[in-house]
Amino acid sequence: MRTATPPARRTRAIGLIAVALAGGVLLAGCQAGEAPVSEEPVSGGTLRYASGDAEPSCLDPHVGGNYPQALLASQFLESLVSRDESGEIIPWLAESWEASADGLSWEFTLRDDVEFTDGTPFDAEAVKVNMEHLKDPATQSSTGYLALGKVDRVEVVASDVARFVLTAPDSALLESLSQPWLAIESPAGLARGMEENCQAPIGTGAFVVDGWVKQERVSLVRNDDYVSPPADAAHDGPAYLEAIDWRFVPDAASRYAALQGGQVDVIDNPQPDTIAAADESGAFAWLDAPRPGASNRIELNSSQAPFDDERVREAFIAAAAVDDGIDALYFGTAARSFSALSSVEALAYSEPALFETDLERADALLDEAGWTERDDDGTRMKDGARLVLRFPVSTNQSVPAEQSLFEQVQAAAKEAGFDVQISLLDLSSWYGALFAHEYEIVSAPYTKVGPDVLRILYHSDSITPAPSGYFANLAQVNNPEIDALLASAASTSDPAERAAQYEQAQRLILGGHYLLPLYDQQNSFLLSPKVQGARALPTVSTPSFSDAWLAE
Amino acid sequence: MSELELRQTTVDAEAAHDREWARRGRPRAGTVIAGAFVVLLLAATAFPAFVATQDPNAISAADAFQPPSTAHWFGTDESGRDIYSRIVAGTGTSLLIGVTATVIGLALGLLLGVLASFGGRVVDFGVGRLVEVLFAFPGLLLALLVIVVAGPGPVTATIAVGLSTAPGYARIIRGQLVSIRSSQYVEAARVLGRPPRRILIAHLLPNALLPLVVLGTLGIGQAIVWAAALSYLGLGAQPPAAEWGAMLSAGRTYLQTAWWMTVFPGLAIVGTTIATTVLGRALARRERGAR
Amino acid sequence: MTGRSAGTGVPAPRRGAPGRAARHLALLLGGAVFVLWAVATLTFFAIRLIPGDPAQAILGGPGSQASQEALDQVRRDYGLDQPLVVQYLAMLGRLVTGDLGTSYSLKVPVAELLGAQIGGTLLLAMCSLATAWVLALGLSLWSTGRGRVASALGQGIELVAAALPHFWLAAVLIAVFSTGLGWFPPVATGTPAGFVLPVTTLAIPLAGFLAQVMRESLLDAMRQPFVVSARARGESALGIRFRHTIRHAALPGISLSGWALGWLLSGAVVVETIFAMPGLGRTLLQAVTLRDIPVVTGVVLLVALVYVVMTVLTDLVARVADPRLAQEGAR
Repeated sequence: MRTATPPARRTRAIGLIAVALAGGVLLAGCQAGEAPVSEEPVSGGTLRYASGDAEPSCLDPHVGGNYPQALLASQFLESLVSRDESGEIIPWLAESWEASADGLSWEFTLRDDVEFTDGTPFDAEAVKVNMEHLKDPATQSSTGYLALGKVDRVEVVASDVARFVLTAPDSALLESLSQPWLAIESPAGLARGMEENCQAPIGTGAFVVDGWVKQERVSLVRNDDYVSPPADAAHDGPAYLEAIDWRFVPDAASRYAALQGGQVDVIDNPQPDTIAAADESGAFAWLDAPRPGASNRIELNSSQAPFDDERVREAFIAAAAVDDGIDALYFGTAARSFSALSSVEALAYSEPALFETDLERADALLDEAGWTERDDDGTRMKDGARLVLRFPVSTNQSVPAEQSLFEQVQAAAKEAGFDVQISLLDLSSWYGALFAHEYEIVSAPYTKVGPDVLRILYHSDSITPAPSGYFANLAQVNNPEIDALLASAASTSDPAERAAQYEQAQRLILGGHYLLPLYDQQNSFLLSPKVQGARALPTVSTPSFSDAWLAE
Repeated sequence: MSELELRQTTVDAEAAHDREWARRGRPRAGTVIAGAFVVLLLAATAFPAFVATQDPNAISAADAFQPPSTAHWFGTDESGRDIYSRIVAGTGTSLLIGVTATVIGLALGLLLGVLASFGGRVVDFGVGRLVEVLFAFPGLLLALLVIVVAGPGPVTATIAVGLSTAPGYARIIRGQLVSIRSSQYVEAARVLGRPPRRILIAHLLPNALLPLVVLGTLGIGQAIVWAAALSYLGLGAQPPAAEWGAMLSAGRTYLQTAWWMTVFPGLAIVGTTIATTVLGRALARRERGAR
Repeated sequence: MTGRSAGTGVPAPRRGAPGRAARHLALLLGGAVFVLWAVATLTFFAIRLIPGDPAQAILGGPGSQASQEALDQVRRDYGLDQPLVVQYLAMLGRLVTGDLGTSYSLKVPVAELLGAQIGGTLLLAMCSLATAWVLALGLSLWSTGRGRVASALGQGIELVAAALPHFWLAAVLIAVFSTGLGWFPPVATGTPAGFVLPVTTLAIPLAGFLAQVMRESLLDAMRQPFVVSARARGESALGIRFRHTIRHAALPGISLSGWALGWLLSGAVVVETIFAMPGLGRTLLQAVTLRDIPVVTGVVLLVALVYVVMTVLTDLVARVADPRLAQEGAR
């Protein structure tokens, strides 16, 4: 076997060179303005995808509702609406929609030529069943359930018209419905019960779940009757790919090695250093698709000492130098953010001036706040208490580069006299620490389409924990003015007014020194050069392969 | 039989083969090198600031990922920290984890072993079963369970590793105590009418103690390796502590870009394991030879 | 250091050989059942100490926003509102019938889940054990009785091998054999080629341990009278090595195998994660993270069962390989 391998490898190397040469010729052809012959999509083949996200425990994104589920669901489920690259809502399974003047009733006109892959017709009844499924406590939906908070019921007006009846106007309704967590599944599929539906949900998408081997792979095969791509898709009709082999490869180094070895065609969650290397050498294409919703940020718990004093919060932000660290650790693949929202969001408001590093100012602020003494370690003291900041870090949610960045924040804040105590915790212990308020600073991702995520993260309602102990307002922002702005922006039907109110709310949130934005939620994919036509959906940035093909 | 018993028997057999060497009293070259390495480790533990060239936690993003050079002997890590200085600073932490885990394992093993060999037949049987049960939880599995119950962290990891080594020690100690108990001088003491507790304290424990120390030396290295595995799984030492296992797992991420981040902490772990084992064996040879 | 399942002092009654064997077997099996019961009990109560609400783990794990009604419903459904003793007895009752419960996170029967995983892990462990055996035997045969240099080199290799952490070794092997030479895939695909690196990663450190003990027993064996007489008869050194001494070298190896299997299962947690293989180790790690108690209990019990079976088997094998042990009876 060993003796057989080198020649085989040589052949492959020659093949690679040939492909590269061909690619070069093609590229030259393109630039010359000629119609490139082999840019014609090729049908057939299996795309091999290696995912580093956690393996979902249920493939139905209605149940729970996290990002790993969204990644997979985007391949076989579709939503009523989608979003284009400019952030405009565009038709998908719904052709058009209209809100009543009071904003309490929305009528969606649905496509009448779509069937689920089990043959069940897609109609208003299906939409109604799906929304009821999401609102049913037995479904255990979290993300979808929250997004439908203002939806009272869905009425079937005609077989292709569904009416959403709301309890209060919701300016975020379309954005909510565009998310994969509110995708439409076959009513017959849902009726099978949770256990069965979790294994292979039935949708209208370009692919169908063929099998799921736990901890190994999900097999997806082409839906040959596919007719319902979103309005911004590159082509109509069934996908070019015959199948997708979706593998779970938790270790980032192994994932990249598999891509290098030609064992897989696409990987997600690559290490920043490998992105930089791949991008520079041109060996792999880099698909950079930051997630929508909130930026990655460090939240400052303002409900308890020492951060109940705004000066101490401001001092921490002034002391925590992150720019150089982001550059070095992310190899230039992540841009610094100065906003609470992702740069994907059109309404994101940035204020860089608030986040300039200034150690002297930090020292002055802390002196002013009464943290004047220092102990032997150089940690500031006040009335015998040390200036300690507990920082629980979830090893499941923070990649190594981010953990290193937090260590740099720890070192930088030490200069000003903060004792930052990082604890690396698994997910359950991490939530446990948060629920018990055993944190002064914390970083938690939150993905949602649209600026309404601000209401979830910074409205005082989100301070009250759910029965499970969960609360989203980790900074414990409790400001009636911000509450009023966020509530009003969520219900206004005037886009200009909505934009103005969200901007004002963001000004107040950033100005209150509740958070230190770092960068967009990183979401990258590395693609082998033979993968063409893949893109990230502009909704929650999950990859879409309905237009993709494998070049020869 | 477990890894510890294995080491014990290996040492016994080796001692038997090396009687002449032991008698001559001249240490082997390997022992000398191992000894020098351990002295170095102890120096790094006692005077880290003196042995290190730089502040192990001094961050300098501009100097990140520097390959080994005269300024940074072992290169720098992702935050521009000097890896050599971090290895030096981590010596204490890593040794502490290894030693503490071993001490915990030994202490528990001693307790169980003494109980088994002096508690009478029923207790011996019970302890034997308990040891058997503990053995049924393989090392990392037991450690994971302890961590689930007590929460992750360096202390838990240390206790977990210690606990998982205890059954091995227990069996060896029981075996030794039983053989010493039946030896002639204990027999003599019993004939003279000494109470059992006196015999235990005056004769048995001192005789069992030196082998215990030897056994411990042999276990330290493996304890460090297991603690490193827990660090790799994100359940060990907490930043910015420069623990070797944590450094190793941090470096693994950048294996393609910065090999030195992985290789040097790896060498420190492997080197320490080997040095303590070699030294432990030399001690054992000496002890056997002296008997 | 022989194959006795536990080094405990159960006195050996003087009886005939068949009775002795039967009694020995009964003791072994009784001990095995006891160990399983104790492991189940220990795990059950240890898990009650885990902070956090099992009902929450069932409802989408940490961070879920389950309603109070849903939590109450789940507590009733899973019997979590019952007194601890009732829950414990219910669990024992289920275990006796082979029912390991239902996974909190995956909502599938634990037995089904683990049934699908154990094959891969056992195959990995067995292949690694076999490879380690071959490596260790080769190394010890090569390095013993050939003078100081070979002996020192052999010892050095053993020491280094035994000291290598799995995850480090795996990284190096991937860097060299996947990325560098392109011989083996870094992600196990179920093909034999994909199995090479994971097996090697687990086998090398284990081979280090095994070789240490094998070399010493080889040395012992070579001083035995029958070897000396064989040499006097003019048999070749190699022939002696193979015909007479391997069996002796193998004995401690056999009795180590029970321990080795447990050790390999520990290593599998790391190796399965790195090489993306489905298996018990990864299942356990995930279950621990999600506080999926039935799965954790299931894995622990299954591993204990494997250990117990291995102990009984090695005991029997050792008896076959070395008849002196059978004479000795159940000590």
